[in-house]
Amino acid sequence: MSRIETIISELSSISNNPKKAMEDYKKETGKGAVGVMPYYAPEEIIHAAGLLPVGIWGGQKSISKARAFLPPFACSIMQSVMEMQLEGVYDNLEAILFPVPCDTLKCLSQKWKGTSPVIVFTHPQNRKLEAANKFLAEEYRLVREKLERILDVKITDEALTKSIDIYNENRKVMREFVDIAAAYPQIIDPIKRHAIIKARSFMEKSKHTAMVKELNSELKSLPVEDFTGKRVVLTGIMAEPNEVLEILKENGFAVVADDLAQESRQFRNDVPLGPDPLYRLAKWWQEFDGCSLATDAKKSRGPMLIDTVKSSKADAVVVCMMKFCDPEEFDYPIYYRQFEEAGIKSLFIEIDLETTSFEQTKTRVQSFSEML
Amino acid sequence: MFTMGIDIGSSSSKVVILEDGLNIIAAEVIQIGTGSTGPKRVLDEALSKSGLKLQDMAKIIATGYGRSSVEESHKQISEISCQAKGVFFLVPSAKTIIDIGGQDVKAIKLDSKGCVKQFFMNDKCAAGTGRFLDVMSRVLEVSLNEMAEYDSRATEPATVSSTCTVFAESEVISQLANGVAKENIIAGVHQSVASKACGLAYRCGVEEDIVMCGGVAKDLGVVRAISKELKKPVIVAPNPQTTAALGAAIFAFDEVIGANK
Amino acid sequence: MTDTSNMSAKELLGFYQEELYEEARRAKKEGKLVCWSASVAPSEFCVTMDIAMIYPETHAAGIGARKGALDVLEVADEKGYNVDTCSYARVNMGYMELLKQEALTGKTPEKLEKSPAARIPLPDLVITCNNICNTLLKWYENLAVELNIPLIIIDVPFNHTMPIPQYSKDYIAEQFKNAISQLEEICGKKFDYDKFLKVQEQTQRSVAQWNRIASLSSHKPSPLNGFDLFNYMALIVCARSRDYAEITFKKFADELEENLKNGIYAFKGNEQKRVTWEGIAVWPHLGHTFKGLKNLGNIMTGSAYPGLWNLSYTPGDMSSMAEAYTRIYINTCLDNKVKVLSDIISGGKCDGVIYHQNRSCKLMSFLNVETADILQKGNHLPYVSFDGDQTDPRNFSPAQFDTRIQALDEMMKQNKEGVSNE
Ligand SMILES: Nc1ncnc2c1ncn2[C@@H]1O[C@H](COP(=O)(O)OP(=O)(O)O)[C@@H](O)[C@H]1O
Ligand code: SF4
Ligand code: SF4
Ligand SMILES: [Mg+2]
Repeated sequence: MSRIETIISELSSISNNPKKAMEDYKKETGKGAVGVMPYYAPEEIIHAAGLLPVGIWGGQKSISKARAFLPPFACSIMQSVMEMQLEGVYDNLEAILFPVPCDTLKCLSQKWKGTSPVIVFTHPQNRKLEAANKFLAEEYRLVREKLERILDVKITDEALTKSIDIYNENRKVMREFVDIAAAYPQIIDPIKRHAIIKARSFMEKSKHTAMVKELNSELKSLPVEDFTGKRVVLTGIMAEPNEVLEILKENGFAVVADDLAQESRQFRNDVPLGPDPLYRLAKWWQEFDGCSLATDAKKSRGPMLIDTVKSSKADAVVVCMMKFCDPEEFDYPIYYRQFEEAGIKSLFIEIDLETTSFEQTKTRVQSFSEML
Repeated sequence: MFTMGIDIGSSSSKVVILEDGLNIIAAEVIQIGTGSTGPKRVLDEALSKSGLKLQDMAKIIATGYGRSSVEESHKQISEISCQAKGVFFLVPSAKTIIDIGGQDVKAIKLDSKGCVKQFFMNDKCAAGTGRFLDVMSRVLEVSLNEMAEYDSRATEPATVSSTCTVFAESEVISQLANGVAKENIIAGVHQSVASKACGLAYRCGVEEDIVMCGGVAKDLGVVRAISKELKKPVIVAPNPQTTAALGAAIFAFDEVIGANK
Repeated sequence: MTDTSNMSAKELLGFYQEELYEEARRAKKEGKLVCWSASVAPSEFCVTMDIAMIYPETHAAGIGARKGALDVLEVADEKGYNVDTCSYARVNMGYMELLKQEALTGKTPEKLEKSPAARIPLPDLVITCNNICNTLLKWYENLAVELNIPLIIIDVPFNHTMPIPQYSKDYIAEQFKNAISQLEEICGKKFDYDKFLKVQEQTQRSVAQWNRIASLSSHKPSPLNGFDLFNYMALIVCARSRDYAEITFKKFADELEENLKNGIYAFKGNEQKRVTWEGIAVWPHLGHTFKGLKNLGNIMTGSAYPGLWNLSYTPGDMSSMAEAYTRIYINTCLDNKVKVLSDIISGGKCDGVIYHQNRSCKLMSFLNVETADILQKGNHLPYVSFDGDQTDPRNFSPAQFDTRIQALDEMMKQNKEGVSNE
């Protein structure tokens, strides 16, 4: 196996098996893990405590137990997260960090069915005011205190500053990866790309950084080949399960950039510089734009996506609409109109973690590729 | 030269045999779809009616929900492209296509050359699909063939507003219990199907000529309701259930003579 | 000016509602500013600035109740709004689209012409507040960008831990200041703080009368049916910073007290069981839900929803005003939510609870199972939930509702026969 293949296969296996990643981390460091609910929790605080932050993204699942606690019109990802809570999947986590940027998450933060303690915090939504930074820094201070108490550790400013550096380094390397991957769609297909990015949800970040860095340089040493398929940008919460990406691949699509909450939105921006680490983490939220969960009077998501399409020389946008996700559903009519005005083609597909039938998705993707 | 288009849908199986890309030799429908004996039966029927053999086909293209399970085919093309191709062949002035099948509703926008510019499909539920009509036809004890006729006698269309098929069923049952005439209920059912399809059509941008296809286009009550909602005339494609199969057969012909884009 | 002194509360309610819409239309004609506002966003700032106010949720509820929702919902559907999003938002986005078309073409679209609701003018600015849901942030973002107008945001962070911390109130109070400077810029004039104090005082007087009405449902038998509160709610939403609300509510409370004295109760005949209704009304089927309960001898004497506007605070104190706007029960942790509801149920001396599983409103639906469970462990009262929607008529089934409330009725009867809770 080539070095590239080895790295990809290692990252893919981590991304497919977070449980094992946690066990390995425990074996290596003797330390446990803290769950991180979507979206945009200050993972750096967990990292600074020496624990492994583990992203909670649900999974492909049929829903049964969760039906008792959630009506059918709750979003697909949270249906599956609830199902997994009830199955005890998350019970070996030392704590759960729980942000509440949408109505669904507000409710879910109040009904965790597992055994781990839950630490809830609220992102401010009048984000451009200085007062919002102060508020969020204060929330983070409480998050830190609660974590210290639960984990019985001290989280110093120094440790936190170091963790922020490690995370910023990872963000930079990930942005590089996304750009490089776009040039090598024959090697980095949509499934691999997703796995490489998702692995960062379950790994100590400096480790992930090292592997992706190496992957980047290996890739760059290869000649760039002509790509005859279509180049697309993904937008939405996430593009799972793999069947969806498989369909894109089968129809000759390459993912050249993304605006997914599970992927690029997390590393689009660095945590800015400054003296107080908690304040810096808060300020990241102020500078972050183009996400359905970060209120924005200018609604810059559409224009940002249009820029991404242009800069990545993409042929179209694929809207990966999480089933029953109202924040994303509200953004859609606006950016769709803006795409139309800009002459950008887009395809709407529904993300459903429960379904096992992908015929409709196949029809849509195939038709779209025939149309482009 | 003969080419064949096979459209295996969720509710029906269709085959069209085309001669020289122009003459429709056979256009057969069996009212059961993927996963059933429908695909085989419809194929046999088309061949026996035309007196041709599978080997006579220069190329076979499959489309529809069950397109990947058609062993006889040389290629698959999505039903969106095939509907566009077939409808444009029959009605060259078509700009907007509304296809209502067994489990999905599609609105397709064409450019003047008949290429797909944009399309939208229903999601999540059976509202506005053939399945919805099937349920209503059962509850009302009126066959699909008779629905349009009942509708034409409606004096005061009822409102059947529930999106969910289960709710709509109970809504219809209680209207029946309250003595609302079947004619009026059926007009309401058609109205409800039309509203769903028109929502998608508007999203595509409605441009004339508007052509309807898919099995539900055989129900003229739905066609009238859509026309009323859009305030524009709606053309029903000839033999509307087989347009996608026709499109596939044309694609097959184009590929054989190398005229494809 | 119309003489209102002899009007009944019901007449006042109708009169002032129409008056408010007329004021907004007049303001638009005269080139004055019109603002669309979320229902529990602070009204004090805009009223101080003499800006005419329109409340889309109330307007949408009106369209729903008059059976005009489907037409505008279709318009929103055409624009790509998913049928799963809040139907208030969809009704309003659809209506806004029609108004926009009218403004652009000079021709009134047929659906607008036909709409049974009061005509409203397009806004020059919008103000939103997420104390009832984050949906209101998304909805108002869209209004602002579709109309290219300023958006004032009052963000009240979800209170995951009670009591409300000072730093949260500070953040909200800072936003009040920011809203004021935004308004100064939009209006091109200074904010009048003396007038502001008067507006705050007026708001407190309106709220006090509102609370006076709500408290009357604790009498057994009750002079007030909770469904009346659903109707009068229009003015606590749209006119709490004006004397319209105070005058109407005072009149209504006086009437109810008079009735009580004379032994006239809300339930004609004999009220048999009292229920709490958790959630928003089903506007397009208000009559059906009301009659369904009534025919079983049930009266609604508890609902936490009207309590959203129990906005008492100390005028002149921004931090206290901030607290009033953020402490709303659905913006707090489950424990506090349950506590508030529990008080509503016992205050209304209720025998059972009905939960509206609202297809439009994730926030007011996703904790119903837990809320019901905890409450029942404490009060042993039966409950049911039904599927509905506050304005999309397509998501409610009268047959299902009837079956569910009948089951509740039977459980309440059993309960009463078994253990008397007198
Ligand atoms: N004679 C008819 N009159 C009215 N409707 C019909 C008739 N035949 C079939 N249909 C409707 O057409 C639907 C199937 O449409 P079709 O386009 O064949 O679906 P698909 O392509 O998904 O298999 C059925 O669900 C039924 O409601
Ligand atoms: S953002 Fe959307 S997908 Fe995520 S939890 Fe909220 S509703 Fe669900
Ligand atoms: S109904 Fe629910 S989602 Fe809609 S505006 Fe009201 S609180 Fe928000
Ligand atoms: Mg079909």
